Amino acid sequence: MIRIPNIPESVVVKHGPKAWPLGLAGAGLLIFGSLLSWSFDPQVLGDLSISFNPGALQIMAIAQGLLAIILLLADKGPLTSLGQWADTALALRALATWALLFMAIVLVAITVEAGGLVNIEPGGWIAFLGAVLLFAASRLVLPRETRDLGHARLPGWAEILVIVALMAAILFGTAYALGLSDAWEFVLFLMLVTGVVITGIRAGFLTWLGHVTTRHKHVLMLAAFAVAFLFPFTQNGSDANMSIASQVLIFAAAAMGLNIVVGLAGLLDLGYIAFLGAGAYVGATMSTSAFATIGWKPPFIVVMLVGGCVSATLGLIIGAPTLRVSGDYLAIVTLGFGEIFRLSMFNLDGNNGPNLTHGPNGVPAIPDLTFGSFNFGDTHTLLGIPLARFSNYYFLLLVLIAFIILVFARLNNSRIGRGWVAIREDEKAAEAMGVNVFGLKILAFVVGAFLAGLAGTIKAHQDVSVTPDQYIFLESAFLLAAIVLGGMGTVAGVLIGAVILKLLPEKLRFFADYRLLLFGLLLVLMMRFRPEGLVASRRRQLEFHEADEELAVRVEGDIAEVVI
Amino acid sequence: MDTFVQQLVNGLTLGSLYALIAVGYTVVYGILQLINFAHGEIFMIGAFGALTTSLVLFRGQTGLWVLPFMIIGAIIASVGTAVLMERFAYRPLRNAPRLAPLITAIGISVFLQELVRLNYNHLPFTSWNPFNLPDAKSRIPFPQIDVVTGPAFQIGGVTIQRSAIFTVGALLMCAALLWYFINRTKTGRGMQAVSQDADTARLMGINVDRIIVVAFALGAVLAGIAGVAQGLQNNNIDFRMGFLAGLKAFTAAVLGGIGNIQGAVVGGLVLGIVEGMATQYIPGQFGGSPWKDVWAFVLLILVLVFRPQGLLGAKAVDRA
Repeated sequence: MIRIPNIPESVVVKHGPKAWPLGLAGAGLLIFGSLLSWSFDPQVLGDLSISFNPGALQIMAIAQGLLAIILLLADKGPLTSLGQWADTALALRALATWALLFMAIVLVAITVEAGGLVNIEPGGWIAFLGAVLLFAASRLVLPRETRDLGHARLPGWAEILVIVALMAAILFGTAYALGLSDAWEFVLFLMLVTGVVITGIRAGFLTWLGHVTTRHKHVLMLAAFAVAFLFPFTQNGSDANMSIASQVLIFAAAAMGLNIVVGLAGLLDLGYIAFLGAGAYVGATMSTSAFATIGWKPPFIVVMLVGGCVSATLGLIIGAPTLRVSGDYLAIVTLGFGEIFRLSMFNLDGNNGPNLTHGPNGVPAIPDLTFGSFNFGDTHTLLGIPLARFSNYYFLLLVLIAFIILVFARLNNSRIGRGWVAIREDEKAAEAMGVNVFGLKILAFVVGAFLAGLAGTIKAHQDVSVTPDQYIFLESAFLLAAIVLGGMGTVAGVLIGAVILKLLPEKLRFFADYRLLLFGLLLVLMMRFRPEGLVASRRRQLEFHEADEELAVRVEGDIAEVVI
Repeated sequence: MDTFVQQLVNGLTLGSLYALIAVGYTVVYGILQLINFAHGEIFMIGAFGALTTSLVLFRGQTGLWVLPFMIIGAIIASVGTAVLMERFAYRPLRNAPRLAPLITAIGISVFLQELVRLNYNHLPFTSWNPFNLPDAKSRIPFPQIDVVTGPAFQIGGVTIQRSAIFTVGALLMCAALLWYFINRTKTGRGMQAVSQDADTARLMGINVDRIIVVAFALGAVLAGIAGVAQGLQNNNIDFRMGFLAGLKAFTAAVLGGIGNIQGAVVGGLVLGIVEGMATQYIPGQFGGSPWKDVWAFVLLILVLVFRPQGLLGAKAVDRA
C-alpha cells in the first residue's frame, strides 16, 4: 500500500519511550476533536457542525481513535496479554497512516464542499492534530516478538461468536455503505474499512481468523449465506440497492464460472461473456415475450437447462478444435468467438439471416418469471418487510451462486480439480503422469460455459431485454478482471473482486467518465505489483514470487499440515 | 469478371492494411512469445498522431508535401507509445507466468483507448485546449490530401481508390525496407538471433533488451503508417478503430504463421482477399458485408484446426 521510509534507528531508540504517551495523547485528541464541531456549514457531509452530537464521519474518526487506544494499551498496559499475540507496532502504524489520510481527506472534503478553508471549525483541526500525533507516535513504537497465532485458541463457542459478529459487521457495513448517497462519505467509509482491515492484517488478526475459519468451515459458510440472505431485509423494501445487488450477483455468478476455466484449469478465455449471452438469448427467445422467436414455451427450469446446454455445446464446438493448440492461441480464438457471437446476434434480424434475435434491437419486454403462483415481478411481504422485484431475483440468484460455488468446491477438491491444477502448472508433466489433458480441458471449458448459460437465462428475465451490445468484449475483460483482482482460483477472492468491480462504479458516479481508464490502469498495476490478487491462494502466491524463500517454506508447511 | 477483380482489389487494399499491422504482432511474438494485445491501439494512436500533426502544424492544409510530415507524426506517436509500454508495463513482467502480460495487455488496451477518448483535446481534469483539437468521443474527419485522396480511378469496370494505391504502395515499400533491415543490418540479424535463442544470443554479445525495444518500435512504425492509410481510406478515425483492426491483424499473423514476418504479410493479404470474396460470393443471407467479420474469424478457427503452424509457419505452436 502506502510505503513510508523508515526513520533512522537512532531516533527510534532515543525517542522510543515517548511513543506511548504521545500516541495516547494523539488518540485522545482525535476522539475529543471528533466530539466537537468540524464544519461551520451544516449542509456538507451530513451534519458535522454540532458539538457533542457527532455525525457519521465523526463517529468513524472516534472508532479509529478507540482502536488506536486499544492497540496502545495492548502494547503496554492492562491489555498486554492480548499484545503477546498481536503485532501491535505494525498494526498501529497502519492504523495511524490511514487515520491521518482519513482526516486529511475530511478536511479537503469540507473545504471543497463548503467553499473555503474557513469553514473548518477548531474540532476538525484538533482531530487532525490528534491524527498527526498518533502518526508520529506510531513511527516510534518498537516492534516486538509475538507468539505463533496457530496456538491462539478461544473456547469453541467464542470462536463461532467471533465469526457471527464478523458476518453481522459485514452485513450492516454493506447495508450502510449502500445507503450512503454522498460520494465523499462513501469514499471515506471505504477508507475506514480499508484502514481497519489492513490494521487487522498487520496485527495478525486476519491470520488468526484464518485459523478460526478453517476450524469452523461450515459455520463460516452458513454464516456467509445467512448474511447474503438477510441483506434484502435491511433495505426496507427499497429496490434501488437490490437492483445493484442482483446485478452484482449475476456478475459474480459469471465470474465464478470463468474462475473454473481460468483459475483452476488455467485456460484464458476472453470470450466468456458470449456463453452468458447465449444463455440470455435462449432465455429471451423461449420466454413469453411478444418478440420471442421460438414457439416452444417450456417451464423455466427446462429453459434454464436448455440455456446451459446450448452454451455448453457452443463451448464444445469452440473448445474441441482450439484446446489442442494451447496457451495464447486459445485466448485469441475465444476472443474471436466472442465477436462472432455478438456479430451473429446483431445480424440475425431477418434481413441478413433468419430472424432469431431482432438484430440490434434485441428481444425486449421479457416478462417476469413465475414459479407456480409466485410472480417475481410482484412485491411480497415477509416478516413485515416488503420484498420487491429485484429482491426476488436476488434470492434466486443466491441459490444459483450457492450451486456454482458447490460445483466449484467439489470439483476443486476432486481428482478432476487436481488434474486441472496439474495441467495449469505444467501440461507436459501432467500428461506424462497420466492425466487426460485434452479431456479435462474440454471438461473445464464446457462446465464453465454451462454455468454461464444458466446464469444467462435468469439475466434475460431480470434485465427485461436482451441486446447484442450487452455482450461486448469489454464485459469479458471485466469478468477476467474480477478474477485477477480478487485472486484466481479462490472463491472468496472472486466474489470480492466481482463486488468491487460492479459496486464501485455504481456508487462513484462522479468519476463515471474515468471509470474505464482507471480500470485499465488497475489491471496493469495489479499485474505489476500484486499479480496473485487480493485474496491469494498460497500456491499461486508462490508461483508469482518464486524467489521468496520464506514464502516457499510457509507454503510447504501448510501443505504438510493439510496432509497430516 | 469485373466484380471478381473489383473484390480482389478491395481485398488487397484491406489485406495490405492488415499486413502492415500484423508485422508488429509477429515481430514481438517471435522474440518474446508475447501477444502484444495492445498493438491495435498503437495503430489507433498512429492515426491520431497524424491527425494532430496536420491540425497543429499545418492547420488542415491539403498539399501533398504535408503527407510525409503526417507520417512522421504518426510514427513518433506510435513508436513513443510502444516504447513506453514496453518499458513500464511489459519489461517488469519478463519472467512472470504467461497469463500476466496478456492481462496487462488488455489493461493497456483499455487504458489507451480511454486516454484518447477522454483526453485527446485537453489535459486531464482541465479544459486547456490551445490547438483547438476536436473532441475524440465521436468520429473525427481525417484530413484529405491532394493526389492521395480524391476521385477514384476507373480501369474498365473496376474502381480503384487513390488511397488504396497509397496503402498497397506503403506495404510494398515497408516490406522491402523490412526485408533489408532484417537480413542486411546488424540489428536485424540480432533480432533473428534473439528470436531463435535469446540466451545464446546474449552470450554472443547481443543486447537483448535493446533488441526487444527495437522489435516493439519496428512494429509501431508499420502500425503508424497503417494508421495514416486507414485514415485516408475511411476519411475518419475514432478511438475504437484499433480493436477490430488489431484482432483482424492478429488473425492475419496467425494465418501466415506467427513469428514469421513474410507469413504476416502473406496472411494479411490472404485474409483481406478472403473477406472481399466472402462479401461477394457467399450466397444467400449469410453473405454480404454484415457477415464478413464473422467469416474472417471462422477462417482463424479453421486455420488453427487444420494448420496450426499457419500458411508459411515454421514456429512450434505448442506453447503452454
